[in-house]
Amino acid sequence: MIERTVTVVPEDGLHARPASQVVEAANNYDSTVTVGPAGGEDVDASSMLAVTGLGVGSGDKVDLTADGSDEAAAIDELETILTTPES
Amino acid sequence: MHDNPHKTRTISGISATPLSGLGTARWYHSGEQPDPAEVSAADPETEQQRFDDARAAAIEELETERESTRQRVGSEEAAVFDAHRQFLTDPQLTEPIETAIANGAAAELAVDDAFGDAIDQFEGMDGMMAERADDLRDVRGRLLRLLSGGERTDLTDLAEGTVLFAERLTPSDTAQLDPDTIAGFVTMTGGRTSHVSIFARSLGIPAIVGAGGELAEISESTPVAIDADREDVVVNPDTVVRERVTAGRDLTVREDRVETSDGREIEVAANIGTAAELNGAVAQGADGIGLFRTEFLFLNREQPPSEDEQFESYIEALNSFPEGRVVVRTLDIGGDKPIPYLELPDEENPFLGNRGIRRSLGADSDLFETQLRALLRAAAAGDGTLSVMFPLVATIDELTAALDAVNRVARDLDTEGIEYATPELGVMIETPAAIFMAEAFADKVDFLSIGTNDLAQYVMAADRENEAVADLHDPQQPAVLRAIKRAVEAAHNHDAWIGMCGEMAGDPELTELLVGLGLDELSMSAVTIPAVKANVTEIDRSEAVSCSDRALTKTTKTMINQTDTQ
Repeated sequence: MIERTVTVVPEDGLHARPASQVVEAANNYDSTVTVGPAGGEDVDASSMLAVTGLGVGSGDKVDLTADGSDEAAAIDELETILTTPES
Repeated sequence: MHDNPHKTRTISGISATPLSGLGTARWYHSGEQPDPAEVSAADPETEQQRFDDARAAAIEELETERESTRQRVGSEEAAVFDAHRQFLTDPQLTEPIETAIANGAAAELAVDDAFGDAIDQFEGMDGMMAERADDLRDVRGRLLRLLSGGERTDLTDLAEGTVLFAERLTPSDTAQLDPDTIAGFVTMTGGRTSHVSIFARSLGIPAIVGAGGELAEISESTPVAIDADREDVVVNPDTVVRERVTAGRDLTVREDRVETSDGREIEVAANIGTAAELNGAVAQGADGIGLFRTEFLFLNREQPPSEDEQFESYIEALNSFPEGRVVVRTLDIGGDKPIPYLELPDEENPFLGNRGIRRSLGADSDLFETQLRALLRAAAAGDGTLSVMFPLVATIDELTAALDAVNRVARDLDTEGIEYATPELGVMIETPAAIFMAEAFADKVDFLSIGTNDLAQYVMAADRENEAVADLHDPQQPAVLRAIKRAVEAAHNHDAWIGMCGEMAGDPELTELLVGLGLDELSMSAVTIPAVKANVTEIDRSEAVSCSDRALTKTTKTMINQTDTQ
């Protein structure tokens, strides 16, 4: 299992498009992926309901974990989504 | 005795766009569906199949709607349909649905319950979380309609002049509306940041949202007006209202500068917050930019913008107005806006905290210096005239330190042999302190610019975001008008020009008052420029001065409002 802490850059935080992208990505990997506020409770990153329910905003720190055969690729893609500004 | 059906009646809401409209009410009901609790269940296998089919059909519809929204509205707006599709495959929703079906529930009831629980969780939270409840409602409605075999109501082909009335409009409803035929829409629910409002702005449709349950009392085919300025729906509008909402619609864009009927030029400029708004400002006939907010250059990124990147942005603005003036406000940032690369501590009262010039002279002095370097270089290289102003100045010491920073940067550029020019320098008048010190400020700078939104907020001690104190947060409060008058006199006593860049400047009904008060420049959202320019040409300055003198004798806002309409 890999863990990583990142600061959320997109202005919308984990809502709207960034949330969609996270859920989309989490569903594309075999690994189990979780996301949650740094030091707080993690949720299933493949659930839109759970991800948007976190209420994570821009500038907040989040913990990511990925566990499975493709965990490295999964966590890299999530990190990219969460640290890339919205165009 | 019963109510006269032709009586004029006003219902307040929230303007989603700055556009007004006039037309005929048409009610939209998103199709009646059977009460999910009343649907009798077949065997679990059949119900599961019905759910699977409805879900597959919903996903297919969403794909189509996403594509047409992307083409008609924009790709950012289309992203909402991705979120909807993800809810349909979200295990936290589908698992309880499947369990309920296995336990003998009809697909309708299972869907209604699972979504209902999720909606309850999101509802009552603020902002973007509350929007999620609307998304879930939209997805649930779609599934229930497909389960009952219902067709989607077609909104693409509404009659010319329709003002659509609805309890709520979903993103998919709104994306269908044709801005060329529809006169507007009004919804009971929704706020300024709801999807429906964002779509309305992108499409350019007059819209009032959040009008409340009272709307239900308005019957089909009633004439209605949408008054964006007053944020009202007017039922059976009289001639005065009709003229008000249609005024400006056919206004021609004046590219030339305008003067009052007695020959005094008033500069009419645009406020912009992104480079993309420059085109709109030019298209509406702005003389220049009266407020270039630079925060967009700094937000949404991990590193601050380089000097060269900023230079390019300022040049782009200056080259858009070769004959005009571009007033750039230096970085105005505080604890309310997160920027990953800045240490922005949580503050109890960010609007009274370390922000604006206070940070530029302290924690962000490096950023400030880089911004000034880019600005001084742009002043020499751009086509138009550059002016630079400092936000939230409250003391002479702050102003002196900011002017010293400009001199220091100029010296450095000189030593380095880099081409530069010192722009016109000014101060924003936003605080009571700045009003009291305006004479001393004006003595040191070329111009003052009144930010009426913040000035009203700080003079009246009324949060500009708090609806409960909206009446206090009004630039027409006598205390605010007196403050404005004082700033104008201070500027003119010291040969400085004075502008206004708050929302007040763009209210066409106040142009005469503002010209009477002596403002030299008015800067506003680009959309109101044609109306304000038209008004300026009809103003006689001695009449305007007596209008403002009269307003300044009044001690209540109500009395001031009455002088406006005389």
